[in-house]
Amino acid sequence: MSTATTAGRRPAKPRRSLAVPVGIGIFVVITLLSVSDQWGIGLDIGGIIEDLGNGRVILEQLLDPNWDFIPRTIQFSAQPPFVTGPLVETFQMAIVAAFIGCLVALPVAFFASRTTAPSRPTVVISRGILSVVRAIPDILYAIIFVAAVGIGPLPGIMALIFFNIGVVAKLLSETVDAVDEGPIEAADAGGGNRTQMVRWAVLPQVLPNYVAYSLYAFELNVRASTVLGLVGAGGIGFLLNVQRGFGAWSNISVIIIELFVIVFVIELISIRLRRRLV
Amino acid sequence: MTPDARANTSRPARPSTLKRNLWIVGAAALFAWATLSVDVDLADLASLPSGLARMFYEMFLASGPDLSYLQNAVPQMITSIQMAWVGTIMGAVISLPLGFLGAKNVSSGLVANVMRQVLNGIRAFPELILAIAIFIPIAGLGPVAGTLAIGLHSAGTLGKLTAEAIEGIDAGPMEAARASGARGLQVQRWGVLPQVLPELIGFWLYRFEINIRAGAVLGVVGAGGIGFLLDQTIKFHRWPQAGTTILVVVVATILVDTISGGVRRRIIEGADVKVAPEAEISDPALAAR
Repeated sequence: MSTATTAGRRPAKPRRSLAVPVGIGIFVVITLLSVSDQWGIGLDIGGIIEDLGNGRVILEQLLDPNWDFIPRTIQFSAQPPFVTGPLVETFQMAIVAAFIGCLVALPVAFFASRTTAPSRPTVVISRGILSVVRAIPDILYAIIFVAAVGIGPLPGIMALIFFNIGVVAKLLSETVDAVDEGPIEAADAGGGNRTQMVRWAVLPQVLPNYVAYSLYAFELNVRASTVLGLVGAGGIGFLLNVQRGFGAWSNISVIIIELFVIVFVIELISIRLRRRLV
Repeated sequence: MTPDARANTSRPARPSTLKRNLWIVGAAALFAWATLSVDVDLADLASLPSGLARMFYEMFLASGPDLSYLQNAVPQMITSIQMAWVGTIMGAVISLPLGFLGAKNVSSGLVANVMRQVLNGIRAFPELILAIAIFIPIAGLGPVAGTLAIGLHSAGTLGKLTAEAIEGIDAGPMEAARASGARGLQVQRWGVLPQVLPELIGFWLYRFEINIRAGAVLGVVGAGGIGFLLDQTIKFHRWPQAGTTILVVVVATILVDTISGGVRRRIIEGADVKVAPEAEISDPALAAR
């Protein structure tokens, strides 16, 4: 096949955008800097592969869970409160924080959405506050609250509340942005004020999503509370940290397995419920 | 309106709200149980606002944040960002084959199911736990351990999203590739990858934004980055320094979010694919932060 014949019939190739090679160039430079010894983290894949053996002692203990440790994480009794222990505390923290966080997030989301906010500056300010709230990682909240009130589940709950406000308010405000305008117009035409419009035209549209996000927040909380304990904010993570101090990896193995099972089950239930809702 | 007239109207019966009400009662009972039984001292709760206010005052108002501490905090934040960057790349590279194997339409049913469970398993472990239990023992304290933890966890989340994206593709281009003689990997390369790539790049950038948060806290357990400074300055009540460190984290995170979000929008609009904004709403796991 000669190039002359095809060149005549073929449409011209679209011009290659300069953005792609420039983007790739920036990507390569940042990556090389990041892995370098001098400017970055000093990643040495060969060294890591050589050192894989270092993890063996701990890994062997992790693979040999000490099942006798289970009663330390959860205890059952015939009298109320029936179940106690750090694992139960993790649940309690997740539930309390999800409820309060999602309650606060509801009005915040309406202020952060163009559709429902009373004015443009309200949207800008609410979104600004939300991006600060979301820029602070959950563990940092926990460290701050532990410093303010001491160790225990309270700082953990507070940290999760802020975390949930950030997540749910953002998701919900985006959902509110995308609602059908029809009912809003109807509410306006019917003489409803802004509050009535939100209540009767917007809320019914976003309610299933709101409940779904709340479930999702609860799921995130159970995951997060496993690590909040590392900084003293209660729950099973606290026990994990204590055991880490002892180097009792067979006990930690039990905690990890329990967490794995719980997160797995909650996710299954939550996904099923969410799918039914939305 | 007389009772008779009401009876004659042909309004449909109101749907039963019993089921909904039962759910509400159940949820309220759960909340009540958790609130009443959780081990929170009301005195602590009462002292919380004043404690926070005092801390905020010490950090930002008493003598202002200690700006000379920027020379400690900024390089550590850069390390955190680098951990997130390299970790995300590791996650993306590992997740790509796993995602293909986990997608029912390009892999076989059994392999896909097994792979999905493997990915679920990986995702169940937060970065901090991975760092403590696996990567600090292997790589020692420092940013490499944190990077590996971010990489493994990201591989789990990205693998799941990749598999879901691939399951949503149009089968046409795959058939076309096969019809013109492509086999095996060639079908994946020319029939599948071009369809999902813009979406995948969007996922990778999302994950990078999330990993910035992880990179900022992994230092709490000694896995590198600014988390170490956060932990130490607050623990030892060095408030002006703590204030500076928190400011650096917040500003850097918002900055990276903004840049990454801009690039994401550019890639998605440039490719004329409107998938990611919807994915953002339908998959909260992605848009969470």
